[in-house]
Amino acid sequence: MTATPTSSPRGETARTRIRELLSYRESGVFLALVIFFVIMYTVSPIFRSPFNLTTILRQISVTSIMAMGQTLVIVSGSFDLSQASIAGLAAMVTARLWKIYGLAPPFAIAGGLGVGILCGFLNGMLAARFRLHPIVMTLATGAVFLGVNFYITRGESIVGLPVGLVFLGQGRIFGIPALVVLMFIVAILMHIMLTRTLFGLRVRMIGGNLKASQDMGMNVERIRIGIFTLSGFLSALGGIVLLGRVGSAVPQIGQGLLFPVVTAAIVGGTLLTGGVGSMAGTLIGAAIMGITRNSLVVLQMSIYLQDIVQGALVVVALLVDQFRRGELTWRIILGLDR
Amino acid sequence: MSNEHVVEMRGISKRFGTIQALNNVDLELRRGELLGLVGDNAAGKSTLMKTLFGSVIPDAGEIFIEGQKAELRNPRDAQARGLAMIYQDLAVFNNLDVAANVFTGREYTKRFLGITFVNKKRMEVESQALLDRLRINISSSKLLVERMSGGQRQMVAVARAIGFDARILIMDEPTAALGVKEANTLLELMAELRDQGISIILVTHRISDVLAIGDRVMVLKGGERQGVLDVGDSTLEDVESLIVRGAAYLQ
Repeated sequence: MTATPTSSPRGETARTRIRELLSYRESGVFLALVIFFVIMYTVSPIFRSPFNLTTILRQISVTSIMAMGQTLVIVSGSFDLSQASIAGLAAMVTARLWKIYGLAPPFAIAGGLGVGILCGFLNGMLAARFRLHPIVMTLATGAVFLGVNFYITRGESIVGLPVGLVFLGQGRIFGIPALVVLMFIVAILMHIMLTRTLFGLRVRMIGGNLKASQDMGMNVERIRIGIFTLSGFLSALGGIVLLGRVGSAVPQIGQGLLFPVVTAAIVGGTLLTGGVGSMAGTLIGAAIMGITRNSLVVLQMSIYLQDIVQGALVVVALLVDQFRRGELTWRIILGLDR
Repeated sequence: MSNEHVVEMRGISKRFGTIQALNNVDLELRRGELLGLVGDNAAGKSTLMKTLFGSVIPDAGEIFIEGQKAELRNPRDAQARGLAMIYQDLAVFNNLDVAANVFTGREYTKRFLGITFVNKKRMEVESQALLDRLRINISSSKLLVERMSGGQRQMVAVARAIGFDARILIMDEPTAALGVKEANTLLELMAELRDQGISIILVTHRISDVLAIGDRVMVLKGGERQGVLDVGDSTLEDVESLIVRGAAYLQ
């Protein structure tokens, strides 16, 4: 084969490969993450210290684990706003099973995870069988789960947790923080589930075209229940990891997680209308949010800027989301089209 | 019962409230032909096709498929007998690739550790083979449907129907939302399918489409059959006159 002067077959394949890579939905946010990271790495010696980098990973672990569940829910076309409350309830139940009922840590953790599964199953039943709108419904069940938490704990904290309960949050596996290892394990498993399994395909189908899914005779109800149950489980796991990180059980644990969890998924490119999203994207989204928060600290900017910056980031992500779906164009912004 | 007809509908009537949507309508679809079904709005075209596909239960009348009497209570009954219906508002999954769309509902799977995995490779290879066999111009079965044109999406829906072993295709206004070029490509595909032995009913407003690729054309007016013309010796005026003036035109 003779090479043409314009492009060799080799250059051609390289170009197709690059085009293929760029066509991945995650490439945009990944590029943003890399640029952001490189800038911070260059300008701030504190940022690039190994200790700080590990801290970022530790900080995003809980958010990421829960955000994987949220991603699954959003891809299916729903929302789970009760995640933070489930996390808190599961954490408190775990601590109390150990303290009050004397259960060994592994059993206490299993109990906490069981509570998460139960809460998630309840959400799933209300969404699928009783056809309640997931946003308001999970907001309401979230209030219930938080109420149950305060009711059973009477607002009392539990301190002096044993090694078995704090290991997930503070321990190390081969020198790597256990919660970071756990985050990557969850990410890999959830990625395989969403992209390779029949269940994952069904999730993307009901999120992409609910009517067609029903028409083809799919058991949408069972899949919905499975999705919310899994979200409940991952919320509980996140809560129990957080319990270990904090080192003591305060009833308010997990509060304030909802925003970073949902935003990690959205910044990571999960389409709010359902059908499209990836675990890799969510991980990248969580990392962007984590680095943002960390940057404000290491650059010694006011910590009160945190909410402003994070909120603004989400607005930007929503704008990008609209552009991608073709709902928004420059002509609309400039008022030329209506 | 003649074996020449893959579908025979006899004396189909259907009333919605005070409106007689169909009145004693007969329809014969010959094996491997492309039959156009035309008529004005509210002529009863869609109702007749929904009856054939099991989504409307007629008040009276009989349906024979492949010479056998068929009780069609729902679309699944019709699908089980080798029928497929393609609507203009498509039941495709834009967020999935072509392979997943062609195999929706009957995915190839493999089990590992008790978990059901989707056999993507096999679906990609087989759907590619199906596209090639149907001479559908889509470069790869791995393409996302959302990146495709309306015509290509219709073709994915057709491929899916054929993949389900459909031998009788009902196409309800498939070209209505398409541009001229797109519509022509889809018509070419339909002619190709007919030549491969698929029997097709094409419901359309575009009479010229039927005259271009059809074998016969049946005209409905006010829920009644006005006549069936051979495309070979009919003109656009013939069909239009039959639509407007009804059976009286034939006398």
